[in-house]
Amino acid sequence: MSNVIVNRVAEFLKTYPPFNFLSKDDLENVAQQVSIKYFEEGERLFSQGEPAQSHFFIVREGSVKLTENQASGELVKEYCDQGDVFGVLALLGKRPYVLNAIVAEETIVYFVPVSIFELILEQNSKVALYFAAGFASGQVVVRQDLSQGQKARGVFKNESNDHSLLIFSDPSVIKISENVLTGFKDLSIQEAAEQMSFEEVSSIVVVNEQKHPLGIITDKDLRKKVVAAGLPLGASVSEIMTKELIVRKSDASFSDLYLCMIKNRLHHLVLTKDGTSQSPVTGIISDHDVLLSMGNSPAILIHALLNTMDLEEMKSIRLRAEQMLRYYLENEVAMDFVASVMTEINDVIISQARIIALTKYRREYPEMEGIKFCFLSLGSEGREEQLLRTDQDNAIIYEDVPQELYDQAAEYFLKIGTEMVEVLIHCGISPCPGNIMASNSKWVQPISTWKEYFSEWILRPTEEALLNSTIFFDFRAIGGTNFLADQLTDHIYEEVRKKHFFLNFLANNAYRKPAPLGFFRGFMVERSGEHRDQFDIKARAMMPLADLARLLILSHGVVGINNTFKRFEKLAELEPVNEELYTQAGKAYEILMRMRALEGLHHGNSGRFIDPESLGKLYKQLLKNTFSPLLELQELVKVRFQLDYFSK
Amino acid sequence: MSWSLFRKKISPKSFVKDFLKEFKSDIPDIRQFDELTFVVLDTETTGLDLFKDHILSFGAVKIQEQKILISTAVEWYLASSKTGKEAITVHGLLKNEEELSLESFATQMLPYLGNHVIIGHSIGFDLAMLKKALRPFGLVDFPNPSIDTKDLAIRLDHGLMVDPSRINFQDYTLDSLCQRFKIETDDRHTAGGDAFLTANLFLKLLKLACKKGINNWGQLKK
Repeated sequence: MSNVIVNRVAEFLKTYPPFNFLSKDDLENVAQQVSIKYFEEGERLFSQGEPAQSHFFIVREGSVKLTENQASGELVKEYCDQGDVFGVLALLGKRPYVLNAIVAEETIVYFVPVSIFELILEQNSKVALYFAAGFASGQVVVRQDLSQGQKARGVFKNESNDHSLLIFSDPSVIKISENVLTGFKDLSIQEAAEQMSFEEVSSIVVVNEQKHPLGIITDKDLRKKVVAAGLPLGASVSEIMTKELIVRKSDASFSDLYLCMIKNRLHHLVLTKDGTSQSPVTGIISDHDVLLSMGNSPAILIHALLNTMDLEEMKSIRLRAEQMLRYYLENEVAMDFVASVMTEINDVIISQARIIALTKYRREYPEMEGIKFCFLSLGSEGREEQLLRTDQDNAIIYEDVPQELYDQAAEYFLKIGTEMVEVLIHCGISPCPGNIMASNSKWVQPISTWKEYFSEWILRPTEEALLNSTIFFDFRAIGGTNFLADQLTDHIYEEVRKKHFFLNFLANNAYRKPAPLGFFRGFMVERSGEHRDQFDIKARAMMPLADLARLLILSHGVVGINNTFKRFEKLAELEPVNEELYTQAGKAYEILMRMRALEGLHHGNSGRFIDPESLGKLYKQLLKNTFSPLLELQELVKVRFQLDYFSK
Repeated sequence: MSWSLFRKKISPKSFVKDFLKEFKSDIPDIRQFDELTFVVLDTETTGLDLFKDHILSFGAVKIQEQKILISTAVEWYLASSKTGKEAITVHGLLKNEEELSLESFATQMLPYLGNHVIIGHSIGFDLAMLKKALRPFGLVDFPNPSIDTKDLAIRLDHGLMVDPSRINFQDYTLDSLCQRFKIETDDRHTAGGDAFLTANLFLKLLKLACKKGINNWGQLKK
């Protein structure tokens, strides 16, 4: 159905190449996908080196200059005015911009998504040729007629410059230094520093006679603990060395070592023969080694995040993380590694958001200074499974305060929560449609109220309470005071233990989830609405598995494992009889997570709805295979929790 | 002579209830423009009398991240028993397109509006007409926040505390403002065309507002 607004956009497009080559229907399809933005002089559409956006640009009115960074400043390479198309490199999708685009005067720009255009490129050779010709001359496709364009030569000549995907070029390239500089603890600081300079290394490991590590001294220690503190250089190294050493086994997998460094924010990781500090030192790995072998690495992103409070920068770092994610997924990097890295990045953003909020309101509420609180991530982020920036679900618990501070605390923590939620929204994490967020006063409460909430849900498992339990039971404290969250966890287990029947309700709820396959083993697709004929991978496959894992782990009274596939791992350990089934279920969940995330990245959405017809035969089968442990688990739960006797 | 004197209480239909459910909490004041969704709308009516006249067509488009999303553009024509002569002469509107019954219009429009911020030029009139049209289904009022581009333009020129007698309202018609902000006016007097112009105008006003320090929802809604 065409309407006057779409027509207006189409009317404009059709007067300029390459749109003039399009049929009326194609033109209308393109026009329908356009978005329009107004810019003022000096605003930037993109910068040199940034990853390509998912659309290219056409000047509707005004002008945009394309510049190149040079030592002397930015050099203008080209002006684009009405009808000019630029930023087309995004069509290749894999390279960063080679120029800056800066608005030269008040300008209206049309954004055309690459996805719709790719379709047309395939069907319309004239359009393809037009763009191919443009590439030869650089990034800009200027208005020109076809005869000129056909002179195109050296198309895509920049291919060798592709460095946007250098993440793990090859893990084996990472060099673990085996010649570790060591010294005994009677060494003086002066002597240690001399040896470090001589060997040109940034650290020395202090060992005993059996070469077991006792501590480590780094450049930073010399600066902070010696020079800045005015310690005499003759003092013993044991006075300044870091004694709480985290060590790993030298033949551990690279992702283990690396994850350990990221999680503990280590610059140096000492390796020993058996992975404890009671065995000889065999090697050392520094973040510098890691950085050298990587471009877009988690360490770099986290480091960058920790060093900024600027919202725009945080947003762009989060975007880079998504690029990295895509690379990981496409290259089948282990899911627990991928999920841990993404969780860590999200957690750092939350910690930064917390600092931003506290800084903003600290002065206004001096009475709130010492009152402990913690920010809870719920749902998939709570389970450390959030790969894409889908909904945020979160809440705040704070200490119980004296009566006279009650109102003030409620007001203060709601402001803190609201600010944090806004920071997350700004970083691209969409708000929760159900408004389960720390900006909702209902979910910003003192610990006593939270205990009441949970007691109530467990005591009276209404439909809503069960829905809440699927979201709230997977909470995880981020930043702040963990003991509040721990208290709440204890309370929940105590309540569940007292009222064991709650688990039967939970089981019934997990059992009644919509089935993934129809009678003839076809996918159960949505029958109507926006997602007609698409398969809801979240509701029909992932949520049921997550619900079952939560239920079973709760029934075993296990605390502290939130992750669905780690829960299955634990269950396999607890119930050797069902080990095979739980292992399969954990694997199925990993596969589903990967498929959903890839689907989401590919389409720039939540990846929740998949068109089964678009999957290749192999993927279709893979997806179907993930359902069999699900169906088996449902049967197990049905018997174990006696759901046949369950009144409705 | 307000029609509201004769108002009977009508219990809301289920789609009206669904719509009202969307409004769980107010938009936080500190929310930035990029994070807000706006629905820019316009209606064409048989005339300017709230009591006698009714809606002929409805056009709208959404703005997200300060971008007009053409994919969200809608234009709906309402079936009506009387086609006001006045409307035909002023707007050149003829019976065309597929016409919707009032009920199917209402069931499509409410989910489209959602809990977004409504934008329009002299939006008070459009909202009053829509309210009247939706009354038979039990909607008493739109809980959506709204911004009038006319008021916003006046505020940006004169500030919040302006003496109305000092304003030349002729400078603030949609035509005058489009001319001033260099927006081409091709499709005036179709609901879709006017909604699109208003959306363009609103984007420009938002930038102007930012320059004057109005940069979040709390500032804008004042």
